Amino acid sequence: MQTPGSQTKSRVDWSWKMPKRWLAQGHKLKVSVGASLKLGLVLLPLSSLSCSSGIEPGVVVPTVTAGPARLSRLTKGQYLQTLTSLLGPGLQLPTNLEDDTYLHGYTSVAASELTISPRAAEQFESAAMDLAEQIFTDKTRRTELVGCTPETALRDSECVLTFLRRFGLRTFRRPLAEDELALFAELYENTSKLLGDKWLGLQYVVAALLQSPHFLFRVERGELEPRSSDELPSENSTPYRLRYSCYEMASRLSYLLWETMPDDELLRAAGAGELCGPQGEQGLTTQAMRMLAMPQAEGGIGRFFREFLKLNRLDTLSKDTKLFPQLTPTLRAAMGTEIVRSALQTALGDADIRDLLTSPKTFVNKELATLYGLPDAAKLGSELQPVELPSDGPRAGILGTAGFLAIGAHQTVTSPTLRGRFIRENLLCQDIPPPPPGVATSLMPPASGEKTTLRQRLTQHREAPQCRGCHQLMDPLGLTLENFDAIGAFREKENEQPIDASVDLDGQQLVGARALGQALHDHPRLGPCVARQLYRYATGHLETEAELDLVGQLGVRLQRQQYRFKSLLLALLTSEGFRYASVDTDVAMDQNSLQTTRAAAAKGGN
Amino acid sequence: MARSTLSRRTFLRGVFGGAAVGVGLPLLDVMSPPFARAEMAGPTRFGIWFWGNGVRREHFFPKPTQTGAVWDMPEELAPLADVRPYVSVLSGLEIKTATHPHHSGMTGILTGARYEQVGTTRDTIVTTFAQKSLDQVAADVLCTRTPFRSLEVGICQFRGTDEGTTFQHLSHNGPNNVNPSEYSPQNLFQRLFGAIPGPEKNLARRSILDGVGAQIQSLQHQVSQHDRRRLDQHLTSIREIERRLSQLAGQCKAPAMPGDFPDREGKEQIAEKNRAMSDLLAVALACDLTRSFSVMFSSAGSGVVVWQAGAVNGLHQTCHDEPSPQPIVHRAVVFTMQQLAYFLGRLRDTPEGDSNLLERCAILGTTELSEGNMHTNDEFPVLLLGRGGGKLKGGIHYRSPNRENTTNALLTVLRAAGLPLPTGFGYGPGRSDQSISELET
Repeated sequence: MQTPGSQTKSRVDWSWKMPKRWLAQGHKLKVSVGASLKLGLVLLPLSSLSCSSGIEPGVVVPTVTAGPARLSRLTKGQYLQTLTSLLGPGLQLPTNLEDDTYLHGYTSVAASELTISPRAAEQFESAAMDLAEQIFTDKTRRTELVGCTPETALRDSECVLTFLRRFGLRTFRRPLAEDELALFAELYENTSKLLGDKWLGLQYVVAALLQSPHFLFRVERGELEPRSSDELPSENSTPYRLRYSCYEMASRLSYLLWETMPDDELLRAAGAGELCGPQGEQGLTTQAMRMLAMPQAEGGIGRFFREFLKLNRLDTLSKDTKLFPQLTPTLRAAMGTEIVRSALQTALGDADIRDLLTSPKTFVNKELATLYGLPDAAKLGSELQPVELPSDGPRAGILGTAGFLAIGAHQTVTSPTLRGRFIRENLLCQDIPPPPPGVATSLMPPASGEKTTLRQRLTQHREAPQCRGCHQLMDPLGLTLENFDAIGAFREKENEQPIDASVDLDGQQLVGARALGQALHDHPRLGPCVARQLYRYATGHLETEAELDLVGQLGVRLQRQQYRFKSLLLALLTSEGFRYASVDTDVAMDQNSLQTTRAAAAKGGN
Repeated sequence: MARSTLSRRTFLRGVFGGAAVGVGLPLLDVMSPPFARAEMAGPTRFGIWFWGNGVRREHFFPKPTQTGAVWDMPEELAPLADVRPYVSVLSGLEIKTATHPHHSGMTGILTGARYEQVGTTRDTIVTTFAQKSLDQVAADVLCTRTPFRSLEVGICQFRGTDEGTTFQHLSHNGPNNVNPSEYSPQNLFQRLFGAIPGPEKNLARRSILDGVGAQIQSLQHQVSQHDRRRLDQHLTSIREIERRLSQLAGQCKAPAMPGDFPDREGKEQIAEKNRAMSDLLAVALACDLTRSFSVMFSSAGSGVVVWQAGAVNGLHQTCHDEPSPQPIVHRAVVFTMQQLAYFLGRLRDTPEGDSNLLERCAILGTTELSEGNMHTNDEFPVLLLGRGGGKLKGGIHYRSPNRENTTNALLTVLRAAGLPLPTGFGYGPGRSDQSISELET
């Protein structure tokens, strides 16, 4: 019986290939039905959909290259941004919200897996009550929001119904159904009577809308889309697939690009049917181009780079204050901002995304410029300014940034292992398994009085047989960066010993950060890895087996389009993986709804 | 004793005034906690007190020859000397579920089961709990009527990695269904003692929640089974708020707002935060706001910098870097046990009826592996704390003669909390049907 961490902890050798995948034995695999078999699956008999097995032979469901449809909880940042977009600026936003959980590196992946905990539900409830109160105790504000004065406390108030339709559409990011309108109208009437005040009634309705699962989650269920017969793999195939509706696409698009709800123009496009179906590709591209040109794009795309490059680790960075007195909270914040702005400039500026590894252009303020030893550092202020680093200097690209270097270091010393691991896992998508159990993992200390460099002390990693396999992948990459200390400042010596920043990489001799940056720039895994990371972030799930080809294709496209990030983004959001969902066999689709959808499909509706 | 009108404010001012100094006054009968009268036997409370990164065995476990009630306290347990009658130590236990650094220990000791892997297209381990954690098992039975189903508290700032929820959270209701710990004393205070609305507004709020519940149920019919389960949790969460609002305002008058605990010169104020959180939790338990709690002092594999122990790096890294005998790791464990001692002392000093709160608690004190350096799962550190309302002897060192299942200890502490569990507890190789009678009265 295999246990993970023993046999299948692969003997990774010193080459650029991916370690063998290992599967923990005896665990449920979270793959959707459409992903587990390449050719196709069987639709459940319609009457007995209470359990997830039960496949009837002869009936085939069309496969689609996508993950299953999921409810996606708004992350903390998205929730706060959405409140501002929806209710307007100037409100006191809640400060006690729980932090996001990360899964596979991204808050968006966790958001489509995790639940709303009891404490989160309380936080949302009290936030909703408080925000509604803020709006409605301010007469100007409430008039602006509602647009009319409720003429009656009854549920058929014209003013209230009009408000509900308009505000409800924006809150739920889709038109309200008639029964939903009735629910809120009834709440208005009951509350107005109970509290003796029509405005209070409206206030509580707004609080109710802000607590609805349709607000707190991006509800994505998909709808059945008819397929023409020439698209079907076999004559037994069912003539439809599951696509996200136009309104669902609007939310997917706006949360990806802007970290907030769709604006009025995007909602209009959704209502006009431009974001799904046959016109979908064109409509999505048009809207995406519009949105990428607006400042809100820095929110959404900036968030991707922040998570892709693990910049949240800067928040909990802890360095010895005596050795590194220059690490103030403002410097720490600037370290993150430098990287995000550089990434955005490259990504949104339509440049080659590989420039991230090699470009001497970056952004610095006085503190950063001082850390980097740039001339004229004293002339700068606290705001970050664009700068071009000296061409004969040691730094270029992300590997030369203080942020990356400080994350890959401990309180007092650097960590070539962490820096190397970061490169492998995040830039090359090569996951490194943890140390095998039962192995003593401490380094021998230097003999007292002996002055050694970290490089010398780390040779143990690459000599001990149980350690060598993984550490050979990580340590050499980090060792070329040893000229940068634990907060990223340049140094010629460590412990009074000169630093040797050379490494033999698969026959290639590299010395220093710039050479390593160039080697990664030229690495064939870089493009596909960026594509894979963006795919995870954008779709909110770890790619399934069935999606690996699509992800690969996106990587190839990126390479062919001169590595322009925007073109990757557009290809991704018009791909099947972003617009469609695989069919979960346990979806509670009953006979009636399926027939209704068939009828609609037969009419050629969207 | 005559009832006087001693205000809660007096009691708690010294503690919550900011950078906390010293210990507050013990909670007196005059505060009217629910079980004040001597003839009332208060309910048993269940708890978990968890710290990350294990121990140093040679300093944590008493000598194998000293079992029973007489044993010398090793250095790492010495901080608990003052509450020794309420502390039992178990040695020689072993996690019987799959062997993987941190993950199997964490899930094994907190659920009696293996972990659940999340995703299969990566070459690294990302897991969540396959089953609900022990505090939720207890809450199912003990907390059906308390205002809060359970309370989750975190002390050291989170400095962990993303290897799934196993590394980021303690309390789980199920796979990827977490109850995040509250790290801010002020937020916890707000949650426990925040203003209760007047009756009409209360009713109006409950109407909203009712409507939200209806929308969730309607949505459940339209989504996958996976999402239906997630919405189940949301629905449960909503119902709990409704329940709390519909109960009469408790007898707990709001104490003074606690202070803030920002880092001082880059150093985390761990002991101060621990005191504030411990005090709040003691009041919450005395007032019967909940009967199941968890304190995640530090997370599994936590990178907390225990500067008090002379650490210059995160504890997880230090466990892997410091050469044997790891004096810094050892001192960090001693420091951690000092924080546990404070918490237990607060509970002991909180009178209840003719006894005290700690008498009525059954608390599991543990970590996610034995020693951080080698990621070992045998000689697993387990403490049973409190006296379970008389069910636990306390003050015992038990050494397993045959590397028995850690779940035996879980079964013991759950039974002490009042869950009969006649057929045992645990899953797969983690299953146990045998509690440790040497610890039971």
